[in-house]
Amino acid sequence: MKHLLALNEWIGRAVAWLTLAMVLVTLTIVVARYGFSIGSIAVQESVTYLHGIVFMLGAAYALRHDQHVRVDIFYREFTKRRKAWVDFLGVLFLLLPTCAYILLVSTDYVAAAWQVREGSREAGGLPLVYLLKTLIPITALLVAFEGILIAVARARFILTGRRA
Amino acid sequence: MSEAGLALLFFGCVCGALMLGFPVAFTLAGVSLLFALVGEAAGFFDPAFLQALPNRLYGTMINETLIAVPLFVFMGVTLERSRIAESLLDTMAAAFGQLRGGLAFSVLAVGVLMAASTGIVGATVVTMGLLSLPSMLRARYDPRVATGTICAAGTLGQIIPPSIVLVILGDVVSNAYQQAQLNLGTFSPKTVSVGELFVGAIIPGMLLVGGYFIYLVGTAVLRPEWMPAPEDTGFDRPGIGQIFSALVAPLALIVAVLGSIMLGVATPTEAAAVGASGALLLALLQGQLTFMRLRDVMQTTVHVTSMVFLILIGASVFSLVFRGIGGEEVVHELLTGLPGGQVGALLAVMALLFVLGFVLDFIEITFVVVPIVGPVLLAMGVDPIWLGILIAINLQTSFLTPPFGFALFYLRGVAPKTISTRAIYRGVVPFIVIQLTVLGVIAAWPALVTWLPAQVYGG
Repeated sequence: MKHLLALNEWIGRAVAWLTLAMVLVTLTIVVARYGFSIGSIAVQESVTYLHGIVFMLGAAYALRHDQHVRVDIFYREFTKRRKAWVDFLGVLFLLLPTCAYILLVSTDYVAAAWQVREGSREAGGLPLVYLLKTLIPITALLVAFEGILIAVARARFILTGRRA
Repeated sequence: MSEAGLALLFFGCVCGALMLGFPVAFTLAGVSLLFALVGEAAGFFDPAFLQALPNRLYGTMINETLIAVPLFVFMGVTLERSRIAESLLDTMAAAFGQLRGGLAFSVLAVGVLMAASTGIVGATVVTMGLLSLPSMLRARYDPRVATGTICAAGTLGQIIPPSIVLVILGDVVSNAYQQAQLNLGTFSPKTVSVGELFVGAIIPGMLLVGGYFIYLVGTAVLRPEWMPAPEDTGFDRPGIGQIFSALVAPLALIVAVLGSIMLGVATPTEAAAVGASGALLLALLQGQLTFMRLRDVMQTTVHVTSMVFLILIGASVFSLVFRGIGGEEVVHELLTGLPGGQVGALLAVMALLFVLGFVLDFIEITFVVVPIVGPVLLAMGVDPIWLGILIAINLQTSFLTPPFGFALFYLRGVAPKTISTRAIYRGVVPFIVIQLTVLGVIAAWPALVTWLPAQVYGG
């Protein structure tokens, strides 16, 4: 149970390594092109994939660490209690509906990609576009999951005054 | 309700909801979707407009220009976490601190060199404030000069390449430019690149740095008591080797990154990867790269990258709904109907951005507002690179302007209580004057922006 609740923590920490991979793979591409005049569309596309994976799967992780910017000219003056209310209602009326909607509209879209095992439009590209597109509903689910954890923690604080 | 009224109501709802302080990305998307839901029920919104959403999301994932963002973030965070920025400031302070105003010049130089910031105004100003304000105050600098210099230098990094906001702005302006041409019936539209925006920012950036420099020199000469040469800086005078490793190495890194873009041998993405690798190497050579620190850099990169791209996603939802209720036509009619044609429309947009800069950060404004107003202005014949640079300097000025400027808020947060808020407000005034002067000069002579990119990229 404890491990399950920290799901996005583990995903985020794992995904973090991909940023280093992005740096090194891109560096390799540069060296290969200018040093040896070789290039590969598949390798080029792998950086795009890494990038997509990083920010999509990292979204819930960033939420967990409260790293999504807020307009805080008023928020920062709020009491802890009022901040908890903003977060609780925000998750309920803004975050969860957004995730639900994205999940709803992306299902057909992703299913269509799976049906034809959609691949790259470029010759020699990666044949994995359908997997990349699958990140959209997965991200919506992960963010919703983390959002629910936040809402529960804030509700508990509002009711009991104890930080979860 | 008229379309103009609806668009205004929608925009007002979004701004109002943002003020509550829930994360921007979800607020943008959530309020837009709720508005669309109500609109669908009331019959003023066609849900077909939102069908494009999954494809928009996928488009964000495979946007090649924006791959430069995580790489530049990686580079900036590495430089910051491995204390390369800090030792740069310390060494410069030790080398020039004996001079009158030496500390202020060091702060300015670090602000310029550490341009590869994370793109968040607050973070940069806080870092600079924590690093340099205590030493400046200890050296008995006038608090106004000290805080003004830190705010200005801290925000300057935003618009000096390589910077993340220029990458984002480049992508958005480029899309707006293509859309403007398509709207005009040009089906093989010309493009602008992030590289062109980087190169275009060089002369304006130098004008700003020059302006700051002249102001600081003037102050050091005319008001020596405001920025005294300390008897004891608390630093030992550094040896040549120390200066070299602290100053030359990061400088070489920045020059290599910028140079390779300017010479056209690397795309901004490639240059960013080279820069990030160089920063890692530098940290390794200086013995600053521990496993924990590398992990910290990678995790921070994920945080910042996800934050940026989620705002982009939230902004896409907003723009689909805004278009769906006819907002784009409203803005188009409004801007083209203004007296003064191109100049009038440009002035109106700049004034709007300036005011929005009081509450929204660079990234939000770029993703939310520029795609709406950009195509209209560009269709009226405004040069895309010039527009991008005007927006950048305008927003930087906004972040400095009392009483709402972001930079001031954040510096207030880390400045000791002995410094009055009034002193911070007074301190930035000369810098705002410099900003507005440069903005005016560039507005009057667009060639200051467009000439260099034309030389590099062949017009």
